[in-house]
Order: sequence, then C-alpha cells, then structure tokens
Amino acid sequence: MKKPMIFSQFFRNNGVIMGSALMGLVGFWLIFLVVLPQLSMLDYSFRFNLPPAEVGGPRDVYTLSNYQHLIYGSDKTHSTYNTVDLMVFVRTIIAAILVTVFNILLCYPLAYFLGQSKGSGFVRLLVVLLIIPYWINEILRAFALRIIFGDSGLLNEVLMFLHLTKEPIDFIRQDIALYAGLGYAYILLMLFPMYNVIESLDRNQIEAARDMGASWARIHRRIVIPHAKPGIVSGATMVFMLSAGALAAPQILGGPSSLWFTQLVYQWFNDSLNWQQGAAYAIVLLVSTIIIVLTVMRIFKVNMGDIGK
Amino acid sequence: MNSKSIIRIALGAYLIIFFSYLLGPLVVMSMTAFNSSGFPSVSPWACFTFEWFRVLFDDKHIRDGIYYSVIIGLGTVLLSVSMGLAASIVLTQVWAKFRSTYYTLIIAPILVPGVVLGISTLVFWDRVGSFLGAGEGSFLNDLFHNGIFLTILGQSSFIASYAMLVFVARLQRFDTGLTEAALDLGATHTQAFRKILLPFMRPAIASASVLAFLASFENYNTTTFTILKYKTLTTVLAQKVRLGINPSISSLAFIIIVLTILAALTFEAYRRNQDRKFAISQGKAVEKSGGFLPSFMRGNPAAIMLVLVSIVVIVLVGTAQRYSPQECKVQVREAKQAEIQLRIEELRKQRLIKDQSEARQGPDIFGTPSPDEEEASKPSGAFGGVFDPNNLSSETEEEESSGGSGAFGGVFAPTNLDNGDGN
Repeated sequence: MKKPMIFSQFFRNNGVIMGSALMGLVGFWLIFLVVLPQLSMLDYSFRFNLPPAEVGGPRDVYTLSNYQHLIYGSDKTHSTYNTVDLMVFVRTIIAAILVTVFNILLCYPLAYFLGQSKGSGFVRLLVVLLIIPYWINEILRAFALRIIFGDSGLLNEVLMFLHLTKEPIDFIRQDIALYAGLGYAYILLMLFPMYNVIESLDRNQIEAARDMGASWARIHRRIVIPHAKPGIVSGATMVFMLSAGALAAPQILGGPSSLWFTQLVYQWFNDSLNWQQGAAYAIVLLVSTIIIVLTVMRIFKVNMGDIGK
Repeated sequence: MNSKSIIRIALGAYLIIFFSYLLGPLVVMSMTAFNSSGFPSVSPWACFTFEWFRVLFDDKHIRDGIYYSVIIGLGTVLLSVSMGLAASIVLTQVWAKFRSTYYTLIIAPILVPGVVLGISTLVFWDRVGSFLGAGEGSFLNDLFHNGIFLTILGQSSFIASYAMLVFVARLQRFDTGLTEAALDLGATHTQAFRKILLPFMRPAIASASVLAFLASFENYNTTTFTILKYKTLTTVLAQKVRLGINPSISSLAFIIIVLTILAALTFEAYRRNQDRKFAISQGKAVEKSGGFLPSFMRGNPAAIMLVLVSIVVIVLVGTAQRYSPQECKVQVREAKQAEIQLRIEELRKQRLIKDQSEARQGPDIFGTPSPDEEEASKPSGAFGGVFDPNNLSSETEEEESSGGSGAFGGVFAPTNLDNGDGN
C-alpha cells in the first residue's frame, strides 16, 4: 500500500531520469551484489557436490550433509564428532575475541590522548604516522611480521643477544606471530572510530568532574567510556569480523599444524573443489559471527547506525 | 606534581610502544630490502645492495599482477563510487521508518567477511550463467567465469559501502535549498544534479575514489576467490610469501612505503598551505616575509619534510645506478669459505678428541662437551682475524640451521663462541 506512494514521492523529488538512475544503481548493488549472492550461497550449501552432468537431475536435492560434515566429519553413523574442524572453529572465534579485546586495551589510551589534546602539531604528526601503515598492503604487513618473528628473525636475534633465551623460540608454531599479526592488521580500524567519538567529547565535562573531586578512574568509567561506547563497539565489531574472516595473516603467519577457519573454507574451494561444502562452512562463519556481534550490540545497547561513523 | 610527571613518563613509554608496534615491522622490512643476504633479515648484515630491486623489476608475475590490479582498481572505482553516491543520496531521502533498515543493508557488506563475499559472488554468477543457459564457450559463460569481471563485482560490493560513508559525511553539509532553487528556476533534475550537487560533492568523490582504488588494490580475501585464472598484485605476493620469501618483496614494500609517505606529506603540506592562506585572508595570521625558504615551505613542516624525503629518494636512486656491492660480496664469499674450511678442521679435531675420550671414559658423557672439547673449539688466534663480527654470526647461523654438525650443534652456537672469546 505504502510503497508505491514512497516511490512516486521519490521520483517526484528526483525526476524520472535521475530517480531511475539512483534506484538502478542502488538496486543493482543491493540485489545483485549483496542479497542474491548470499542467498545463492545459502542455497548452494544445502546441495550435494555433483558432477556437472547430474546437476538438475534426480539426485540434485537439498541435503544437510554439508553441515553434518562440520559436526560429525565423514562418519556416517554420527557417533563421533569432527573434532578437528570444530576445534578450528572454536579457536578462530575465541582468538578473534581475544584480538579484539587486546586492540581495545591498546587503542583506548591513544585514542583518548589524541582526542583530547586538540590540534597541536605533534598530534597531527602522530595522526599522519598512523595513516601510513594503513595503506600498506595486508600481505606486506604480515610479511613484515614474519621477518621479525621468524626462526632467525630479528626478535629471536635480540632475545639471544640479550641472553634471555638460548634456543630460538618458534613464535610461528606457537601462534604468537599469528595473534600479533591479526592485532596488527586491523588495529587502526579500532583506533579511528574511538578517536572520532572521544574527539567530540566536551573537555569541560572532564574538567567539571575533576573539579568535583572525581578520581581519574571514575572520570573514565562514568564520562569518557559511556561517551565513547558507540565508537568502541563500532571498532570492536569491525576488528572482530575482520579477524574472524581474515585469510592472509593466518596463511602467512599461522603455524603449519594450526588452521584458521577461513583456511578450511579456502581448502574446500581451491584444493578439494567442493564448493558446496565450502559454502556451508562460510555460512557457519557468517551466521555465528553475526550472532556474536548482534549479541554484543544488544548487551551494550548500541545501534547499527553507530557503525561506520 | 610528582604523579603528573609519572603519568607523563607512562604516556611517553606507551606512545613509544604503540608506535614501534605499528611502524617497527615496516622499518625492519624496509631495511631487509638492502641486505644482500638471500633470506630477508637484518641482523647478520652482509652487504648493502640494490640488487633486490632489479630482481623485483625483472619479475614478470609481479608486473602482470600490478597491471591487472590497476585495471580491476579502475573498474572498482567506477562502479563502487557511483553506487556509493547513489546509495548516499537515497539515504537522505528514504522514508524515515525504513531508514535504519536501509542503513543496515548498505553498511552490512563492510562487516561481512571478505571470504564470504568472494565465495558468494563466485557461486552466484556461476548460477546466473547456467540459469541463462549460457553454454560452454559462449560469451556470457566466459564473462561470468572471468576473474576480472567477478573481482570487480566482488570488491565493489563492499567498497561501495566505504564510498557511501565518505559521501554521507559530505552530504550532511549540503544545503538542499540550492537544488530547490535551481529546480524553481526551471532546471531539470538532471541539470540540478550535474550543476549543483556534483560540484559540491567533487572533493568527496575524489577522496572516495582514492580510498576505493587503494582498498581494491590491497584486497586479498575477496580477490583470492574471484580472481580465478588471472592474478593481481596481492595474490602474486601472497603466493610468493607462502612458497618462500626473498627480499625482493621487501623492496616492493619499501617502494610502496616511500610512495605512501610522499603522498601523505604532499597532502599534509597542501592542507597546511590552504589553512595558512585562509588564515592570512581572514587576517588572523601575517604573511612572513624574508628568510631563505621558498614561500610554500614557510611555516609548513610537512612541506619541508616532503622536500627532504624527495631529495633522499633522488640520492638513493642515483646511487643505485652506480653503486655495486661486488667487492663486498666477494669478501663475504671468501669469509664464508674460510669459515667452512675452519669448521671442517674443527670437526675433524673434535671427532678425534671424542674418539679418544670415548675410549677413555665410556660413552656416558657424550652429549655434554668436556673441557677438552671446549678448548678445542677455541683456536684463538686465527679466529678473530678471519671473521668480521657480522659475517661470523651470519655464517654460524646458516650452518646451524642446516643441521650439519649433529651432536656438536650446541658447541658451535654463536653465543658460546662469544663467551669463549670474552673469557
């Protein structure tokens, strides 16, 4: 009932040509690049991996087998669990959460410092310095960390030089390099949203609280953090989603025996050529990360509209 | 007063830690580009060299990758900027109740993992191809399985959201009265858009385009699924890094870092100049005259830095044309050979001692080096002369990791030698 009215209003505001150009572009984007691809991936994940000749034939029916594979493995009786893949999944989610928390803790003081010391040349220099690593390729940043964390890398050399360790520590096999790399890759996506909201906080509020005798910790807990909440949640959401969905850093910095969930997806697609199975894994990743993000946003009472500011 | 200075020190330490975490890896990586050692490393410094840049420029895969990255980048800019602009304009007009749903829809692609976007694009267009009945070898089938086409679509799906955010920020300051006035004066909607909104949006379009191009250029997660048989710079790099690393990648990183710094400085210098001109025209600042600096550098540290960095780059490129590390390399090779010779001799000596001690005391003290061995591993005079300290640590490192010396590995560790000399 109401939709046609909105559309006619829309075309009256923009004219027929401009109106249809706008609608066409937005429609193409949302329908053909976002919604339909996701739906077709969902559909794909419920199908068998059939040879091309059998597609559309009698055996091309819906199935849950791809999802069952994640839980039970190739075991048809469903008596044992697919511990390898499930462990990878749990590890990915937990590690992504830890990386996010680490980034919040590391970025908050700097965001506060930058946001509250207004406009001096030094701060401006710091911001420029921050932007530079942001434009270096993700792969190259992972590569840089690999040089540092490698077996005969700089960090091991330094530790051995200082006699803190005798043998080189295998940072890569112990996944230290991976976590450092993930934290490194998306740290600026945490910093800038935080910086933006803290910058908009009126200094007088802090001054007033201080005049009334509030302690340093209390000022942060009662004034700065509540004000910065949308920025923190927005940054945390981006860092969490991107770390959980990261592929480059685990491929380059991950140990040979430990996998990231996206690497499983990658293997199903490119090594096993089983797109249906890969799509099912991707759906599991997408849905579970979205659920986590929505839960966190609900807990902290933050709207979707705050994301990306 | 005292607690204040503690806070200051803590803040300074924190800033140093943060920035060394952020910039340190890049600095180290840049340095490895100039070390002649075949594995990217800094600490066993062999020779200062430019050869990795030549290796980089001769690499056909990287050149191809850059070529396709640029094509895909341009396509993505065109598509995502226009979609982002349209989406942001629609956002200003959309029905209030539908607004937050619509915003969720257009912001969501940023949050969807890139892997998922890549897969869904691949799967969807494969489906579209079979739905349209495009047979093997037909034009549509080729198009829907073309890596460039798919990558542009896959990347645009989320880069358009970034562009949209840039436009939304700018549109908030747009006075819709201007468009209304134009329409009242008889302009068509298209004219009003082209003559009023578009010029107003031009700075945002420029920055969104740069952002979109860079985002496309450095994207990996989506691209690696949609690129199929083509390659972009990032997929080439990822493959190289995974298969085995060599410093030519560091040299590429160095070039990118220098370009980024130059671009950032240029932008900053330009902005400061604009600010200053604005301040002068408002009468808030005075035009400083005199001094020996040209006018665009006055009161503008960014511009001074820009000039300095440019000079350094020019000098570096100039040296690269003439400088040759051949001599140093020969030295390193000779030192290496001398060292290998020495080690063979040592091994022989130690084996002899070991055989003897075995005969004397039985096999139980095997692993632990006896005082005799310690002595033997310290042929004091010849040692210091042959190795210059850098070479020494590098060679022992490599030899050790190749695992030649078996039970004696511990004895040969560089730290042990240092201890021995120190004593």
